Amino acid sequence: MSTHVSEWLNAYHDGELHRTQFQRMEAHLAECDTCQAELELLESLSGLLQEVPTPEFTSVERFASQVNLRLPHKQIAISSRQILEISWWMIPVGLLAVWIFIGTSFFISDILSAANHLGFLRGISDWMAFVPSNDIYLSATLSQLGLLSSNSLSWAESMEAFTRMSLPLISLQISIALLYLNWIAIWWARHARHQQPGQFLEG
Amino acid sequence: METFTVAMVITPSEAELVIQAQSGERNAFSELVCIHAQGVRNVIYHMCGDTQIAEDAAQETFIQAWKHLPSYRPQTSLRNWLYRIAVNAATDLLRKEKHILPNALEDLQLQDPHLGPEALFFEGERTALIQNAILSLPEVSRAVLVLREYEGMSYHEIANALDIPIGTVMSRLNYARKALKDKLQQSLFVQVEVKHVDSRE
Repeated sequence: MSTHVSEWLNAYHDGELHRTQFQRMEAHLAECDTCQAELELLESLSGLLQEVPTPEFTSVERFASQVNLRLPHKQIAISSRQILEISWWMIPVGLLAVWIFIGTSFFISDILSAANHLGFLRGISDWMAFVPSNDIYLSATLSQLGLLSSNSLSWAESMEAFTRMSLPLISLQISIALLYLNWIAIWWARHARHQQPGQFLEG
Repeated sequence: METFTVAMVITPSEAELVIQAQSGERNAFSELVCIHAQGVRNVIYHMCGDTQIAEDAAQETFIQAWKHLPSYRPQTSLRNWLYRIAVNAATDLLRKEKHILPNALEDLQLQDPHLGPEALFFEGERTALIQNAILSLPEVSRAVLVLREYEGMSYHEIANALDIPIGTVMSRLNYARKALKDKLQQSLFVQVEVKHVDSRE
């Protein structure tokens, strides 16, 4: 009988094995008398432990009133450790909120810009004047200096529009995504450390 | 014509009770005590084997729970949280009350060669034998065994309750069962024999 299978007998007995492991164990038990006997012993042990009777405690209501009489007036306020813990879980929430805010702002800005081009915003009060215009300052200057041909001017205009309008959005989103990935990596490292399997025999 | 008013009593859920208790509502906390008192006392009783100590340690558990309730996160299981405090309270009390420490147990009873298989059928003796065997286990392994065998908790729940990795839960449980098998060999032999006789009939 392999040692590996023997180590998983307890988990099999407790119904804690995953499907594949469970099937492997079933197949092994069908042909291994030693493991079968070991399993029977485990089942008997559980049965034996259940023979310890539960004692007669005081009634639950009486117990609750006894506890109530001993309760101190003040509860201990949330410690700095808990505040730290809450802050840790607020990081992804905050990042998500920033991401949604930026996305929404740029989306609204685009809609207003398009509406402005189509002339829908004519007659609307001056407060809408912040809507980004199509002025391309750098390319216009270069063109006036005769440094750009008509073809390269339109290319430069598109590039500049892209740089001015989309690049900040993309770089902000990449930064947020990187921060979020970092958070996940740290969370995963902490989680993996917590879940690492222990030694199988102690004492 | 007479009119009847039907008063509907809506029982608040555990989560609602926890929120109320966290803001200092004693009655809500008392209801939570009523819900979990039996489980907490059972865990402590099986940890220490003494009814009075179990009552005292359970009271201490709930007092500690009340004090630290504002730091409890409602998304985790209240039962697991209470059991963690209960196990710690039981361990503390066992350390204080040296006379019921495993070292002071009547180990002779466990190894008495004159105790024949027939004698083991006497319920009282068998119970004492089993209880002493449990109490002779190291506290860390005993806690895992008690939560698994008497509270039926999964490995994941035990890991959460005791704040240990699942691998450690498995190793402690393996160790506890192996030690118990060695100590209760005779009783187990009788148990297996009885089972075989029953299955033949």
